[in-house]
Amino acid sequence: MTALASIPLRRIAAAIGDAAVRWCDADFPPRVRATGSIVERTGYSIPMVEFALDALFGELRSDTLLETALRELGDLEALDAPAARAYPLGRVAILSSRTTIGVAIPAMCFALAAKNDVLVKDREDALVAAFARTLCEELDDFANALEIAAWNGSREESRLQGASLIVVFGNDATIARVTAEHAGQARTIGFGSRTSLGYLDATTQSNPASLDAALAGAARDASLYEGEGCMSLHALFVERSVATDAREIAARFARAMENAATEFPVGERSAANRAGMLQARNLAAFRSAGGRGGAFCDDALTYLLLLDPPENEPPPFLPRTVAVLPIESPEEIARYVARHALPIECLGITGTGRRHTELASRIGAARLAPLGEMQRPPLQAHHGGRLRIAEYVRFLDIDGERE
Amino acid sequence: MSREREAEALDERLLAAIEAWHRHGRSLDDAEFDDLALAIFAHQLRYDTAYAAYCAGYGLSLTALPSTWREIPPLPARAYKEAAIAAFPIERADLVFESSGTTLGEPSRHYIEDRRLYDAALLAGFERAMLGDGARLRYLLLVPNPAQRPHSSLGYMMGRVATLFGDGETGWYLDEDRLLVDAFIADARDACDRGQPICLAATAFSLLHLVETLEEHGIILNLPVGSRLMETGGFKGRSRVVTRDELYARASRAFALPIERIVAEYGMSELCSQYYDRPNSEINIAGASHRIKCAPPWLRTRVLDERERDCPHGIVGALAHIDLANRSSCLAVLTEDLGAVVDGGIVLLGRESGAQLRGCSLDAEDLRRS
Repeated sequence: MTALASIPLRRIAAAIGDAAVRWCDADFPPRVRATGSIVERTGYSIPMVEFALDALFGELRSDTLLETALRELGDLEALDAPAARAYPLGRVAILSSRTTIGVAIPAMCFALAAKNDVLVKDREDALVAAFARTLCEELDDFANALEIAAWNGSREESRLQGASLIVVFGNDATIARVTAEHAGQARTIGFGSRTSLGYLDATTQSNPASLDAALAGAARDASLYEGEGCMSLHALFVERSVATDAREIAARFARAMENAATEFPVGERSAANRAGMLQARNLAAFRSAGGRGGAFCDDALTYLLLLDPPENEPPPFLPRTVAVLPIESPEEIARYVARHALPIECLGITGTGRRHTELASRIGAARLAPLGEMQRPPLQAHHGGRLRIAEYVRFLDIDGERE
Repeated sequence: MSREREAEALDERLLAAIEAWHRHGRSLDDAEFDDLALAIFAHQLRYDTAYAAYCAGYGLSLTALPSTWREIPPLPARAYKEAAIAAFPIERADLVFESSGTTLGEPSRHYIEDRRLYDAALLAGFERAMLGDGARLRYLLLVPNPAQRPHSSLGYMMGRVATLFGDGETGWYLDEDRLLVDAFIADARDACDRGQPICLAATAFSLLHLVETLEEHGIILNLPVGSRLMETGGFKGRSRVVTRDELYARASRAFALPIERIVAEYGMSELCSQYYDRPNSEINIAGASHRIKCAPPWLRTRVLDERERDCPHGIVGALAHIDLANRSSCLAVLTEDLGAVVDGGIVLLGRESGAQLRGCSLDAEDLRRS
């Protein structure tokens, strides 16, 4: 029996939603404190952290949680006695390492909504712990259901004993290690390394206003979280068009990147990132001198666009650095993804259409989103292509009750 | 003056500078370094078309030359993968070195017009850094064998060193990628029995593999007094599996070798000259202890920030080397290595590996590997 077993789903969802509403207030003291800690941990600028917190808690609404539950479980009473048909797994552990901001929080909330006891490994900024305290203020029972802890290395992972499910956000090595260490004891769900791409079709380019709007969106998608999130834009494929050439688009994109840097100033960058960007810029300049492509950037290397790099080169996984690749058809995107074996989280597009859906499906993307919205996934979106709440329950089907 | 005459004249000046340091310890002062660097740069602008086109982007040409070596544009090392970087017709190359392919794609190719300059630079550097006592050693080499890998600069370098400074009983223990541990142990024991000091040269990965094998079998090789170990190559391009301190401590035990007898060499196929650890030098940079590496006088290094400005001493940035011995290719090379300038040399912090990606979850190393 878990601590939340007897609490109705609606009550849990309401408590989560109410706590999130308090965190939407930029002056809420715990949020103010967390913002400073996150800036210190990530090196991101304050406006970027504020954006992340607004996006995270703005989505975490009671109605959205219930909608997701209804969609995935088929019935809002499915988890509630006396007619329960879905049951908590028991204890769910959530590990997040090498992640951006608050990645563990939606997973934690869904696991709680499914009435599990939940252990979360927190980051150095203690954001999860701070939000957990607000949750407990909204509903006392969370205190018995939630354990938030911070630890380093794998030695202390004995505390994972007894978990039915371990959710790991991290690199491939971490996921493989945790999976191997707990094989036979707990199921593991890994959210490993993924990246995101954009596609600018010829139709969009024929209208300057649409083109600039799309590029402004792409700039936002590339700039947020300094390119460190799985939904960060790292390559923009530009369909060749009679209206504009790729060089002109890169120049317009560069202006959009400058504007994005005004809205979301650059924070602290590591020496490795700075060196990587310098190397990438100079290499692009060398190629340009030889007649291929070019580098678009400002003097401070706030951002860097690499026009027409060789297709055997993978996307540059560097802050605010995007490869701009002219293509004849979307077929080339699929070939590029296959060539570099890229696991794709999101494909950013303009407009809609079957062509886009087919492309997203072909490249294994988990999400198709308009350029500019890539970094704002809806709460109910299938992160990593997975169900949100159904992963945290076990269903009970009773044959005789079908009729 | 013809290209050949100009090249010859520059090489003679360089050879004289190398000889003066090698035999007499005479360094180059700032004016001498500037003078040579700018003369070589002008030569490269004239004859190295790919590099000259790149420099045009900096507004530099034969009519707009820099005023100091610090203004010479550093060419990214990866350019060597994509074009022939040479100030001479490459079909006349005396030596061609290829990178070991630590990053994606084609290996880089470094075309060298005249091996005399390359040999002079490497021998002077090695002798002063590794053979200050004039010892004639037996060379046991865990580096690519030139018979199998004729385009390995490391293999070439150690082959030349062993031929000139060795006892004639040189052993090579890398068969392609396979380490010949048994043969190494047998030869090392033979040298021990004869009291013949050894110079063991190994890449970091080979050394780790060897040490692990010796540890597994409980073997300690008590190398004769005067023996030494040159480690090179670091762990670039792969996940680091042990720290340098741990590797050296374990090697020190396995070979009964004082730790100060273990010296790291730092070079790359795109350069003709090498850095070596300065004896008994440790400095704390970026929260960790590092040995200081020092260069011969014709090799200087800038540490650059993202605006390509020089970082202050002790601040970590991208390493750009200005190697005058690269007369026939490109003298200024921007590496993918991180480091800092300190009093007496540089410290090397490893290789830039892209963003410190904290994705939910995006890890550059994973994605590059996938």
